[in-house]
Amino acid sequence: MGTLVDINNVRKVYKRDAFEVPVLNGVTLAVPQGDFLALMGPSGSGKTTLLNLMAGIDRPTGGSIFVDGKEISRFSETQLASWRSRHVGFIFQMYNLIPVLNAFENVELPLLLTKLSKKERREHVQAALDIVGLGDRAFHYPRQLSGGQEQRVAIARAIVTDPTLLVADEPTGDLDAKNAEETLDLLQKLNADFAKTIVMVTHDPKAAQRAKHTLHLEKGLLVEGAYGMETAAHA
Amino acid sequence: MKFAKLIRRNLFRNKLRTILTMMLLAVIFFFVATLLAILDNFENFSNAGEGANRLVVQSAISLANLLPYAHEQKIRAIPGVVDTAKLQWIGAYYKEKSNFFANFAVDVDKFPTVFDDYKVSPQDLAAFQADRRGALVGVDLMKRFNWKVGDRITLKRQIFPFDPELTIRGTYVHPVQTTSVFFPMEYFQQSIGNQGQVGTFWVKVADPKQMAAISQQIDAMFKNSDFPTETFTEKEFQQNFMSMMGNVKLLFTAVSTCAIFMVVLLAAITMSMSARERVTEIAVLKAIGFEQRLVLAIMLSEFVLLTVIGGAIGSYGAHFLFIAVDAGKMTQGFLQNLGVHAKTLTICMATAVGIGLVAGGFPAVRASNLRVVDGLRRVV
Repeated sequence: MGTLVDINNVRKVYKRDAFEVPVLNGVTLAVPQGDFLALMGPSGSGKTTLLNLMAGIDRPTGGSIFVDGKEISRFSETQLASWRSRHVGFIFQMYNLIPVLNAFENVELPLLLTKLSKKERREHVQAALDIVGLGDRAFHYPRQLSGGQEQRVAIARAIVTDPTLLVADEPTGDLDAKNAEETLDLLQKLNADFAKTIVMVTHDPKAAQRAKHTLHLEKGLLVEGAYGMETAAHA
Repeated sequence: MKFAKLIRRNLFRNKLRTILTMMLLAVIFFFVATLLAILDNFENFSNAGEGANRLVVQSAISLANLLPYAHEQKIRAIPGVVDTAKLQWIGAYYKEKSNFFANFAVDVDKFPTVFDDYKVSPQDLAAFQADRRGALVGVDLMKRFNWKVGDRITLKRQIFPFDPELTIRGTYVHPVQTTSVFFPMEYFQQSIGNQGQVGTFWVKVADPKQMAAISQQIDAMFKNSDFPTETFTEKEFQQNFMSMMGNVKLLFTAVSTCAIFMVVLLAAITMSMSARERVTEIAVLKAIGFEQRLVLAIMLSEFVLLTVIGGAIGSYGAHFLFIAVDAGKMTQGFLQNLGVHAKTLTICMATAVGIGLVAGGFPAVRASNLRVVDGLRRVV
């Protein structure tokens, strides 16, 4: 399989008032197409920052990031927004559904940015909800759903545009064990049955075990990796 | 529009806050629309004689001082003057003080030439001129009191010591002055026993370009007499009449501006709160691909919709209220034909859009400029 995400010597420094806080210190990583990768590490290790960078919602201080052959680290904000709408699906710890929209309308949101007709959008949304097993809850509002169901709606929203890459930041962090298992089952299904490339940040070793590969970060560096990648620390 | 549902749902996400804000906007816009309507009413009153080529001659001392009849012959002799008519404000009312309207004693034989913008049928005019106690009444006033031609009415005194007892002999139509009563000068003068003096002479001029020159000529003619005059165009005269109440326009404009400024601040607070509550949601929208300008457009649309709905409720509420309610009666005849017209409604709605843009501009720009990672940091 080819490489989908290619990260080369990426550094990220946050500025806090007069101070500079280095978060990533030269990470090099290649994620193959169709992989299910778990990123682990202690708080502040830079795993969410790395996820944000490969998803195009943050920009590196140095280095380059290629996704599906495109160097997104050189994109403008507008180009990034357009690119994200077509290529990235997001799954958040707190689901982040829009509370004033029902499940159907939440899942439809990314499609509003496309040229699909209303009928086509409806078909796509229904298909996505069916995949996550919530076809019968389409017109329920987030407050009428359980945490697990909300997360499944969020997953449907993430896959409805058939993105190249799914990024999940602690997708089971707010769920009980049963719902966490169901969510991980769903992610595995998306990876196995639909060949979706998934990068997941997690603290939970059990969740990480469901991934094909696991990488660990510490102090902004990859310290061990399933791919045996070189990192700045190991170079 | 694909995003209309999102805008509408966000607008009513906190129903109580939205409804209270709309009510506040509605009350302010009702107030502003009413003030603008009153100013409009005054303006119409001032413009009542526009294009009629009339000058009004009054005492240089004050409108309350009378002028001798003898002046009229001299004024009429000035080249360019077509004709003159004596006119006296009577200030009486019908039955109750709340039934107040303009009523004048006038030279009935001069009425058709000097007041040729008041349209009267030949039959009505003839009947009016033939009856010493005849009255010519505006059509809207006829409707207000359900009067018919031939009705006898008695007006009650306020300024002069007599109660005009009149028989309605006809009606007139005028674009602005639709609620006045005219009756013969002869009846008035005989009743008060004050023959030979009158409040104003109305002068019909042939060429509007000559009005300024004739005006100066009249005042120069009587400058050193016992009864000096001051001559105005009809518009100036009406404006002076209105200015006796003080600078109403400035006062109303100042009050309206303060009200609008207050509502801008209050709307800005509401909109800032609304935007701040949605930081994470906005970050999510941006993460899934909503561009900055789209987020800005969605938020501004929501804020403008809020102010437009509030503004429409208030200004159209005033519009329909003054259709349903007779403001003239409520104000003892002071505000005849008060109405919130298309021009005022347009001003109100444009102001509502402006308030939405100004008050919502800062929170909307701030929200749309939000970095996705900063917005998500709260929960991720």
